[in-house]
Amino acid sequence: MSDPLIRFNNTGVYYRMGRKRSPVVGPSPWALRGLNLQIQRGEKLGIVGRNGCGKSTLLRLLAGIISPDEGTITFSRPGLHVQLLALGVGFEGNLSGAENAILSGLFMGKTRSHMESRLRDVQEFSELGDAFHRPVNTYSSGMNARLGFSIALQTDPDVFLIDEILGVGDHAFLLKSQAAIREKFKSDTTVVLISHDAQVIGDICTRAVWMNRGEILAEGTPSDVCRDYESKR
Amino acid sequence: MSDFQRYKDIIFYRTLSGLKSEARRNHLGYAWFVLEPLLSTAVLYFAMSHLTGQRGAVAVFTILVGMLVWQWFEGSIMLSAESLTKKFHIHQQVPLPKYLFPLVDIGTNTVRFAFAFLLVLAACLLVGPGPSVALLWLPLVLALQLVLIIGLSLVISIVVTLLPDLRVLLQSCFRLLFFVSGIFFTAERVPAHLLPYFHANPITVLIESYRAIILDHRAPNFGLLGQTLLSAVAFLALGAFVQAYYDKRLLKLTNV
Repeated sequence: MSDPLIRFNNTGVYYRMGRKRSPVVGPSPWALRGLNLQIQRGEKLGIVGRNGCGKSTLLRLLAGIISPDEGTITFSRPGLHVQLLALGVGFEGNLSGAENAILSGLFMGKTRSHMESRLRDVQEFSELGDAFHRPVNTYSSGMNARLGFSIALQTDPDVFLIDEILGVGDHAFLLKSQAAIREKFKSDTTVVLISHDAQVIGDICTRAVWMNRGEILAEGTPSDVCRDYESKR
Repeated sequence: MSDFQRYKDIIFYRTLSGLKSEARRNHLGYAWFVLEPLLSTAVLYFAMSHLTGQRGAVAVFTILVGMLVWQWFEGSIMLSAESLTKKFHIHQQVPLPKYLFPLVDIGTNTVRFAFAFLLVLAACLLVGPGPSVALLWLPLVLALQLVLIIGLSLVISIVVTLLPDLRVLLQSCFRLLFFVSGIFFTAERVPAHLLPYFHANPITVLIESYRAIILDHRAPNFGLLGQTLLSAVAFLALGAFVQAYYDKRLLKLTNV
């Protein structure tokens, strides 16, 4: 097997929220503990678990937003582009849809020229027409979501992180956006999908991990892991 | 180096957006960049001319220069104090260096300052003391003030995010600084035994340097500017350290 794209080695994270200075807040401050996990190039990894299982923390670690408090996380190369599928990151209401597409793309790790070359695709996919050149604060919430989704789709990261497959917009756009995400699962892109819905993970992932309280309970083929998860939850 | 280019573009677009929104918020738009310092100057001139009897163009320009320099400094730092909390949702989604956000606020406020400063400078040259070679020192003093603003903002943006209560304290500090920094009076009015304290304040030194260059046509006091440079560089180093240390820790320490 080739070298993994991302390797967690006994990784742990804890939060020190609130006013208390001591690291021990509540029964267990650890959001993740002793995590050992490898993500291979091109695989579609599904992570199932209930609320509070540590999936948001895992996403933040993968995206490089936070650092681990113990253990390590190693990327196959520096600057590996790991991107959370997020809608409308950093939108500024008084900039046009096109300007926001560039700004949001910059936030998500793309260059200005990359986003400029994709503007037409964003405009087309979002079905915004001429409104694309009007300020975003004149948009309806549906238009906003369509624009956000269309931008996220054009960021082409090395690793795509998806927190639940949510469609956006009206019914027609909902189907179109869900289809676009599923398309990513057929391509070479490495995808990490986090969901509480074992059915979705069983359908489209190549490997699955079940997490609970910041630890891995099971790891293996999606069908095995999801069967365990469904039977014990 | 593509990251550097990207960060530069982010600062550009966010600054552009900040300026656009400011202009659209009010009917008078960009005119406020100049009107705001003019209004504060009018108020201070009214009060000071009655107290001290100093009137005329020189007194107006003295206060105006102090006011502009102060507003650039205070405005940038107060904006930076909130720049991370205001955009916390972005930090939860993308791994951007936190320092970009105070830099954007400094950028917006610096453009405001530049507008007003250029107008006041033009007015000084046309109807005030007129041009001189001393003006060549101006870029040096401007650069020094920018370094001081950036250094302080880098530190304060993180510290206030971690300890939000400090924002109130910061406001009080600025109120105090406003009265002791020589914005509406000059060093001649300060008792001799207090002068060393007066000049220990970097803002005072900067304001006096601008006045020396623009109004008195002489070179600034380099000894005092050297001290200011030292404190600016110290803040910049501390800021760089604090930003690097908390960049990936901030979200684990606070949930604003």
